[in-house]
Amino acid sequence: MATLKPPPAQHRSAPTGPPKAPVKADPTTTIADTAVFQGKYPITIGANTVIHPRARFYSYEGPIIVGDGCIISEKAIIGAQPASSRSSSRPASPSPTPEPSTTETQPPQNKDLTTRLSYFVTVGPQSTIRPGAHIHSSACIEALATIHRYAEIGSHTKICSGVEVPEAGSVPEWTVVWGNGIGQRRRRAREAKGPGPAVVVAARVTQTPVPGLAPEGKVIEDARLMVLQKEREVLGRMIVPAGASKKR
Amino acid sequence: MSRPFPYSYISCPCADTPIPDPAKKRRSKESSQKATPERTDATDDAATPKQEDNQDEGDSDEEQTFDPRSLRSNFSLYPPEQLLYCEDCHQIKCPRCITEEIVSWYCPNCLFETPSSMVKSDGNRCGRNCFNCPVCTAPLAVSTIENVTGNGSQQGPWVLSCGYCMWTTLDIGIKFDKPTNIRSQLQKMTDSTASPAYDARSRQGSRAFGDLKSPLSTLISAEGQPSAPNDNENGNGNGSEEQTKEDSTDVAPANTDARFAALKTFYRNQISETSNSPNDPLSEFGFSSPGALNRLMSLYASSSRLSGLYGGNKKAKSKPPVMREALTASEGLRVTPAGEEAAIIERLASPEGGWDSIASLEQRAQQSPDVRFVDELLPLPVLLRTKRAKRCKSCKHILVKPETKPQSTRFRIRLIALSYIPLPTLRPLALPAPSSFTSGTVTQTPDLDSLPPLRPVHVLLTLKNHMFDPVRITLATPSVTPGRVASKVTILSPQFEIGANSDVWDEALAGASAPVGDSRLTGVRTAEKVPEAGKVWDKGRNWTTVVLEVIPGTLPGSEADTTNAGNEDAGDEGAVTLKEDEDVLEIPVFVHMEWDAEAQLEQQNVGKASKPDDLVARELAYWMVLGVGKIQAAL
Repeated sequence: MATLKPPPAQHRSAPTGPPKAPVKADPTTTIADTAVFQGKYPITIGANTVIHPRARFYSYEGPIIVGDGCIISEKAIIGAQPASSRSSSRPASPSPTPEPSTTETQPPQNKDLTTRLSYFVTVGPQSTIRPGAHIHSSACIEALATIHRYAEIGSHTKICSGVEVPEAGSVPEWTVVWGNGIGQRRRRAREAKGPGPAVVVAARVTQTPVPGLAPEGKVIEDARLMVLQKEREVLGRMIVPAGASKKR
Repeated sequence: MSRPFPYSYISCPCADTPIPDPAKKRRSKESSQKATPERTDATDDAATPKQEDNQDEGDSDEEQTFDPRSLRSNFSLYPPEQLLYCEDCHQIKCPRCITEEIVSWYCPNCLFETPSSMVKSDGNRCGRNCFNCPVCTAPLAVSTIENVTGNGSQQGPWVLSCGYCMWTTLDIGIKFDKPTNIRSQLQKMTDSTASPAYDARSRQGSRAFGDLKSPLSTLISAEGQPSAPNDNENGNGNGSEEQTKEDSTDVAPANTDARFAALKTFYRNQISETSNSPNDPLSEFGFSSPGALNRLMSLYASSSRLSGLYGGNKKAKSKPPVMREALTASEGLRVTPAGEEAAIIERLASPEGGWDSIASLEQRAQQSPDVRFVDELLPLPVLLRTKRAKRCKSCKHILVKPETKPQSTRFRIRLIALSYIPLPTLRPLALPAPSSFTSGTVTQTPDLDSLPPLRPVHVLLTLKNHMFDPVRITLATPSVTPGRVASKVTILSPQFEIGANSDVWDEALAGASAPVGDSRLTGVRTAEKVPEAGKVWDKGRNWTTVVLEVIPGTLPGSEADTTNAGNEDAGDEGAVTLKEDEDVLEIPVFVHMEWDAEAQLEQQNVGKASKPDDLVARELAYWMVLGVGKIQAAL
């Protein structure tokens, strides 16, 4: 990883560069030194969160709050660059909503422009979370997914790769959004489900007892979170931490 | 045409000869050989533009010129890579002149081969642990949940889980006790009819049992094994119809397949009871037998008023017995319970119902027709795939035979056409700017997507030989392309040789010819060179490049067309509109190749010009189409 490192703190050290964002990170946080933090508003990062190299945080429009135990993968973009520099610095990212108009003509009347990621959120590589989005705990945003402004993602929800959540859209908790574009939704089982009709009918016909309740669907999520915990521990050892950004 | 310019297609000869047969082929081969000298004359003429007029007539005397624009040619043109070659017929074979046969069935997921008898009896789905997600079709993984449920080591319940949409069998309340043989475990749970009580019920059941498995199974259903484990999807193929035969007492077949089987048995009985004629054993229901047809006809004749018209009651037939419909549940009748639809509607409207809870059409297509909601979807066993051998349709010679093992990607036999015919590649020649012919000027590569009409373009045609014998090639092309857009084409050196596909090291070690081979890569020499008639452009170890001079014609109705005084008079307003793809410049080229092959044992005597060292003169002729580019409308 060291070989891939660009010259250290390119963005931050340049006097004429974009403004550095005030970052307030927990000492247990692992932040790669090539992660980018820009903007005016404060960026808060919770304990045990891992931020991969080249993840980008832009707090030009509002503060960013990342909770405990999150994983932000490579090249993920949280927040948005100001409209002027966006066109030049970011490769054309086609978004269905014309962004400049939303930023300028629609000031946050009652919308909170704080970008929030609650506990144990996983953000996949190259995914985009626009300002004002609120992602609840244990949600999982997969690679290349886009969460538009003011969208709300419920807890234990998975946004599959490439899916877009529209502006101010809301995804309930324990849901999987999959497919293309806005995708299709599926509710995840949380509690123990009774056997399906096919099983019940089969049991009745064959006069065998209906099989007992399967374990609660929650156990799958529990297992996933356990794996996530392990992943975070390992990542904390692998990623070269940026001492500078921690102290600031 | 979907390919980017320039492209080349090869025409399979099967379009001309619907039934290729070897004897006819040999005759045509001889005739074509006789025709060769004439053709070479003609193409020599083509090299000198003065005598083009003569060549036109010479071409029309011979075989018909291949027209890449004719509707039929769509079906005979293939990219060179898709063609096969039959060594027995000495002919190019396209996907239309081969037959396929299945070598093996295998599961793409676990790469286990399934015997074809199993496929016939159990359907073409994997019988092991391979399942696809019923929601998103991603493959499912067998995983344990013992860690979270706190069971002992490796004892925990197992589930199928989807890595993409996080669907698990817990969503439908199913867990497995063992990580193996998931399909039979699932079968046991969802199969309403696998109970041993009905298994040995009747002998008659065995036939119906075979019938409902799959259409394929009728071939082998002669031996009835009612207790055979049957793993068909959705629990069909079970023994439930047996109970419905005689005991119409208590238990109604519950799932769809069982009901269907029951109905089928019922109607078969009805038909055999009501039909006068003995049941035709070949047809399922006897409807195709003449007796049944008679009965139906007489039914219509006697009951309708047409009977008087046709004199149907001349001979009063005995009234045919009337078939009745299924009446009881055991016969397969299912009366919708009173509250069922209301319950469904209620469920749709409930907070946990709604759009997301309804199975989509794609999801339902693979499932039992009763399934309406997402949480009724069952995991789908993976569909099997096949490996196929290909045979020549005319001589039954095997052209492609893959290895049977699913893991192996190798082929035992693979006669692809490109190892027999030279691979044509086309590229435009970058000409120095016409103002100055000195080297170092800006060279311009013509833009193939918009060729200016009436301006000569040089195209380099490289033929690469993949055979281990040197090949003599004769190219011929009509001097004017067929169709309304008449482009003039001249092959500057229509006759040439291509070297053998010898060892690459031979050339390198010889050293002398190395710079020749390199010249294709270095652009310096090509910039200086000027295409000359009668000379090959470039030559390498196993390839030769010749120059085609193309003068794109004018499109009808274009500006350029008005400059052409002759065309202007002829063109009426209706014909001016451009047809689809008419601006695409495609050149039909007839390729005739000759080489001396080593004689195969059985064909030693057949060879006409057999040489002392067992060499046989071989030849092959075919049409190919070179897609050069698009002609632009304006000058």
